[in-house]
Amino acid sequence: MRSSDENRVDIVEEDVQLTLDELCRACRAAEEQVRVWVVEGVLTPIGDAPHEWRFAGASLRRARLALTLSRELEVNPPGVALALDLLDEIETLQSSLRRRGRA
Amino acid sequence: MKFQDYYQTLGVARDASPDDIKKAYRKLARKYHPDLSKAPDAEARFKEIGEANEVLKDPEKRAAYDAVGSRYQQEQAGGRGPGDFQPPPGWDTGFEFSGRGGDDEGFTAQDHSDFFEALFGRRARGADVRRTSMRMPGQDHHAKVMIDLEDAFTGAQRSISLRMPALDADGHGVLQERTLDVNIPKGLRAGQHLRLAGQGGPGLGDGPTGDLFLEIEFKPHRLYRVDGRDVYVDLPLAPWEAALGASVSAPTPAGDVELTIPPGSAAGRKLRLKGRGIPGVGGAAAGDLYVVLTIALPPAGSDVARQAYEALKAAAADFDPRASMKGGAA
Repeated sequence: MRSSDENRVDIVEEDVQLTLDELCRACRAAEEQVRVWVVEGVLTPIGDAPHEWRFAGASLRRARLALTLSRELEVNPPGVALALDLLDEIETLQSSLRRRGRA
Repeated sequence: MKFQDYYQTLGVARDASPDDIKKAYRKLARKYHPDLSKAPDAEARFKEIGEANEVLKDPEKRAAYDAVGSRYQQEQAGGRGPGDFQPPPGWDTGFEFSGRGGDDEGFTAQDHSDFFEALFGRRARGADVRRTSMRMPGQDHHAKVMIDLEDAFTGAQRSISLRMPALDADGHGVLQERTLDVNIPKGLRAGQHLRLAGQGGPGLGDGPTGDLFLEIEFKPHRLYRVDGRDVYVDLPLAPWEAALGASVSAPTPAGDVELTIPPGSAAGRKLRLKGRGIPGVGGAAAGDLYVVLTIALPPAGSDVARQAYEALKAAAADFDPRASMKGGAA
């Protein structure tokens, strides 16, 4: 099967904002789960009420990571928040190593 | 077909309790989770672990697996060639699989080994695909793809082959190969995702087709290191080029550039070429290209070269390359 590229291609992190519904579908998470993550600060959408929430494109990667952490490793939501913060920190450190050419 | 020793994969005994299995799985899953581990074989290991856990945590599957396993071991002891496993005909009579497990579909449910599929069949990934008049959007699919760094500089159209789980006419799950022509947008960075609208799973009823998300990685490059939008390249110089200054040609992903090396440049000095990194998207500034100077020494293999080094030694008699190491134990 070969499909041509008439369809849109977006860079999620640059061009896309996701609604709650779109984010749930894209990472196959239940809406309830995503709401809990927002409360725990794992995800920070703009907008007040859930139906107004807009998630930055970068939330997709975070939400997928959060989902595997909670599903595969049964980490609870505060633990997911902590793990993601630590992963961000590791990423920052690795990026400074890369700049020095050591990784 | 290779026999999979799921107990060995998880490092547990054959009579391990469900708790032991859970504990062993968790520990290995933390160690090899592709998002947490940088080990090169993490993804493959994680899949093996997931598959072993999927079988051993489920009492029905475990019992069926044990029955097949002990028979296989008898055959091995009887001198049948190693690695050659065929499930005995009718092996699964007497086991009834309740076929549950809809919600743990995620990482572990994809890409089972042939062995697993011979025993348990390939579980249709879209478990919610039933004969129904319900209208539902198709599932969004995800895949990882590797692209060349150069493509992010210029933008490019690339053919990408993906193997996607799909249902055949009889409703069996199969891996379907498909090739997509994808426009790689200029300015794309590692770790970002491309969304291809309408390239995911088919919708139910007249529900819309899902989207396909491609996570982007750069293929490792011989010359360049990438950090976000910034690109780093090591540029070797001859000692006289570093000392006296020079004009040299340096490679960049967008083509060679002519660089002026200031006199007295030390190894490790970074020259920044502003805006020569990965191009910016949507008003964001382009990254920078950093040329990191290194110094390559010509060999002292010939008499002339040795004399030249001797002359340099005499000329720089006061030079102490280890001066910075002196001055206290700190």
